[in-house]
Amino acid sequence: MSDELEKLYQSTYTAVVRFLYRKVWDAERAEDLAQEVFVRALAHRPDKPRAWVFAVAANLARDEARAAVRRKRHLTLLKDDPIAQPTVSPAADDTVEHDEQMASVQEALNTLTPRDREILLLWDAGLSYPEIAAQTGLAVGAVGTTLARARRRLVDAHDRQQKQARDNAAHS
Amino acid sequence: MRHIPEDELHAYLDQGLSRSQCVEIESHLAGCSSCRATRDGIAALRDRTTALLAKLAPPRRFPPAFETLRGQAARRVTSRRRRLRVAAWAASLVAALGLGWTASTMVGPGRATSVATHTMPPVADAPATSIRTGSAEVKPPAPARAVKRAFRDDSIRAAKLAVLDPAPALQLAPVEEPRPDAGEQFDGMWRTVSWDGAQSEAGQSLPHIDGLPVLRVQVQANDQGKRPLMVVAQQLSSGQVIQTIEGPASDVSELLNRRNATSSDGGLSVTISDAAPAADQAMAMQMGDRMLAITGALPSDSLRAMIRRINAEMRSK
Repeated sequence: MSDELEKLYQSTYTAVVRFLYRKVWDAERAEDLAQEVFVRALAHRPDKPRAWVFAVAANLARDEARAAVRRKRHLTLLKDDPIAQPTVSPAADDTVEHDEQMASVQEALNTLTPRDREILLLWDAGLSYPEIAAQTGLAVGAVGTTLARARRRLVDAHDRQQKQARDNAAHS
Repeated sequence: MRHIPEDELHAYLDQGLSRSQCVEIESHLAGCSSCRATRDGIAALRDRTTALLAKLAPPRRFPPAFETLRGQAARRVTSRRRRLRVAAWAASLVAALGLGWTASTMVGPGRATSVATHTMPPVADAPATSIRTGSAEVKPPAPARAVKRAFRDDSIRAAKLAVLDPAPALQLAPVEEPRPDAGEQFDGMWRTVSWDGAQSEAGQSLPHIDGLPVLRVQVQANDQGKRPLMVVAQQLSSGQVIQTIEGPASDVSELLNRRNATSSDGGLSVTISDAAPAADQAMAMQMGDRMLAITGALPSDSLRAMIRRINAEMRSK
């Protein structure tokens, strides 16, 4: 059992971190949570460890999001405080470009409904249709329909943003 | 000719179809250029989605050695066991105290049936028909209505105590063999907590029915960062106990499957002296990855109505 979990850890850890990162948007936090997921898996010894790992990861990310909302209230209070303003340091061009691309995809992803987003991220993490269905409560037959819609919306939203960015650049 | 719907082609490319469905699609594709073009378009869409999502990746770092996590898990299990041992020790101490106290209040053998019987307060409308024979006082059995009322008053008082006192020990200590059907025995690491404590831990409302006395709130010894699995025991005016369970779907269904198993520590159970209810029923409702369940010796229609009400109340909060 422990060996099976170790194999799963080797093969899935990166996918779990990526899955969590796309929810909490903090690389270190995503890693902490991913490790927490596997520590819990070792303690619980689930029957279907792969599906279990992603289900727990989704739960942790949801709790994290709730905590983030609470923290945000504090940040709103601090917003006008000059000390709380982030200092902008000059960054290399490629970093800026990478960050812009990432922000653009993130924005496109945020246009999806939470369910479509969840299913798309689970699929991208490598879960099969039956695993996605079991985790989200969707019928297996509906996973394809949801993915079709989610993919189309993500790509359309991203294309719209790119076009808008080009138009803005042309006008300025 | 019927063309293949887009979602089926997505499922086909994602290998989400059965072998026979794949064969059907492939034979259609072989003779339909329009569907082949659609398939190619969908394949390109899939590739673009993957490429876009690939941009949303954190910087790659080496994962910690699996042994490190194994060590953390082992420490966590050890600390849980230690907590359970302490809880079992405390429960046995409480049970011993409860036994001593019960024995001291016994008038004759065979009178004591449970703690609740002996904590009954004097009831105003019970007929004062004590007969004094020599120095021994013999009370005739109280009428059933009075017993019920007294029991209800007592349970409300006990419930208030349970709310105020983080460890309502005496109410929870079994004096005799706990009846398997009076208050279920749940396996696992449980903590009995105060109402306020449970609320602050849950971060939102607890699963319960407003207006009914709460006998006990149990929280499964859980890892941090996750809304825990909770069981709230409440008493109906008929004396029956219902238990509302809320938590991760897998945990709740596991709990329901083994709810009749005997508790390993045997110390934390509510013993109710009223007539034992008939076979326990359970009803559950899944909401995403969480599950709400209710158990009690009631008709399934009543349980269904209760679970709907709890669900509506929890959603409205």
